[in-house]
Amino acid sequence: MINRLRERLGGISPYALIPVVLFVLVAVFAPVLAPYAPGMQVITDAMQGPSFAHWLGTDYLGRDLLSRLLLAARVSLAAMTIVLVSALAIGILIGSIAGYVGGKVDLVLISVIDIMLSLPSLIIALALIGIVGPGYWSMIAALTLAWWANYARMSRAVVASEVHQPHIEACRVIGASHWWVFTRHILPSVLGVVLVYASADAGALVLSIATLSFLGLGVTPPTPEWGQMLVDGMNYLEDSPSMVLLPGLALTLVVVSFNVLGEAIALQKLPRAIKGRVLLKRIRARADEEETVKRGVQ
Amino acid sequence: MLKLFYRRLALAICLVGVASALTFALIASAPGNAANFLAERAAGPKATHELVQKIEHDLGLNDPLYIRFFHWVGNVADGRLGESLRTGHPITEEFAQRLPTTIRLLLGGGVVACFMPLLIGVAGALSDGGVLDRSLRVLAIVGASAPNFFVGALLVLLFSVRLHWLPAFGTSGLLSWVMPWVTVGLFPTCVLSRVVRVTLQELMSRPFATTGFAKGYGRTGVLVYEALPNLAVPFLTTFGAQFALMIIGAIVVESVFAWQGIGAFFIDSIRFRDFPAMQAILMTFVVFFVFVNLLVDMVCMLIDPRIRRSQFESA
Repeated sequence: MINRLRERLGGISPYALIPVVLFVLVAVFAPVLAPYAPGMQVITDAMQGPSFAHWLGTDYLGRDLLSRLLLAARVSLAAMTIVLVSALAIGILIGSIAGYVGGKVDLVLISVIDIMLSLPSLIIALALIGIVGPGYWSMIAALTLAWWANYARMSRAVVASEVHQPHIEACRVIGASHWWVFTRHILPSVLGVVLVYASADAGALVLSIATLSFLGLGVTPPTPEWGQMLVDGMNYLEDSPSMVLLPGLALTLVVVSFNVLGEAIALQKLPRAIKGRVLLKRIRARADEEETVKRGVQ
Repeated sequence: MLKLFYRRLALAICLVGVASALTFALIASAPGNAANFLAERAAGPKATHELVQKIEHDLGLNDPLYIRFFHWVGNVADGRLGESLRTGHPITEEFAQRLPTTIRLLLGGGVVACFMPLLIGVAGALSDGGVLDRSLRVLAIVGASAPNFFVGALLVLLFSVRLHWLPAFGTSGLLSWVMPWVTVGLFPTCVLSRVVRVTLQELMSRPFATTGFAKGYGRTGVLVYEALPNLAVPFLTTFGAQFALMIIGAIVVESVFAWQGIGAFFIDSIRFRDFPAMQAILMTFVVFFVFVNLLVDMVCMLIDPRIRRSQFESA
């Protein structure tokens, strides 16, 4: 698994990785970096421009914008990680069961997955939030339940293609248990493929979290979050546009960096796909040759 | 051909049926009870247990789930979507008021997302590797990453607050539609222009492009006469998917520009846990997605004989 990950990530230009790593570092060390507590209000300092005391100015309650932006990065990263990890866990589990067991179980599971995928994930998430009621944890749960199907579909494809490989059958023949075969021989390939895609998916997830918070259905005040800071600032667009511009820019930058990373990963995979296609052509050509040879013999 | 059409239609209807049953079951299993809510609204805090039970009985909430589902389907077939718990008005009335706004928003955004990508993609392909190509590529990545509520806010800031060219809200006059259309169309435009660009590049290396060059066309000629017709199917499939996704954009845009469309109705119904309204809106969305996909598949089958043939083989 590590080898596969390195194989895919190794060739990626560090320039694609740097912004994402920077975002993670900022998010993790946000409480240390932030000059003020994000909730500290000094109402007499409200809606000020940049100054030495407040590098990026203050919002309508006199809270330091820089501190709030930094802590919002932390909130985004935390929510995104929780959703991604749980969606991956559920998706890989269900996808692997479908691919490994096959038959009717596969048919039922893949139908469920396909129905989930026929609707946009954010609509599913909104519907689930509507059922449970808005809030941070219902946002996390809703996004997880809306997101797992992607990974389930991917894991199922990998497992289904691996299960009938000769080396897997050989393992079964020499008496390895299903559990052993799955965890030692199949799961690593699944993780190798799915984790790479998941890392490219993180941008879409950050965007969804911000969108839900913008709509008032995700992270709620006083916790700072970019989408929610932006919707707060909309009322003061004329007097103090920085309350809208800064969170929006921060969010855009983070999503761009994740998408660039995803792009780099996709490009990295391209040679492999071409290699596969060329290989397939050669196999077909050889089969054709054999066919003609046979006919010649007859 | 007609047989294929019917098969595809049957599949679509099945999908709508399954999806509606699923949403119904989910919403019915939601915590909280409409009867409690209605009783409280009718009698205030003095709502008695008897009143709640009477409302439960009247609404048929005590019936088994499948009976309630068929009851609901029958009502929908009669054109009755029930009453909104939040406003007390029939949901059909709300729909009649709000649907035109959302449909116009989606159609306008769709026009933007249909023509702009072709323009941008072809321009990029023509200046292959040039400054224009590279800057368009960067813009497309940024545009596909920028959250649409931020794009909307930026447009309002620039064109309403600073320049006073366009109104920041309302639906009166064509001018007030420009910013919402651009906002809702930007994301699909960026995604699609990249699809157009990449597909064109791939198509230009196919044998038929070489034949085109051999026939004496220049680069532009091959692009227009040989590559563009082959672009139709990949473009249409992505366009269909993006057009369906624009419903999310519509929800956000209606919130940014304070419009009273279906998207705003959906968000309000989620906030107030207005289950009948949620159910009706979700069904509308499902029908919309399935219909758009169906339409795209049909058109692709009509224009590309290869797809027809492969469908026949699998049938």
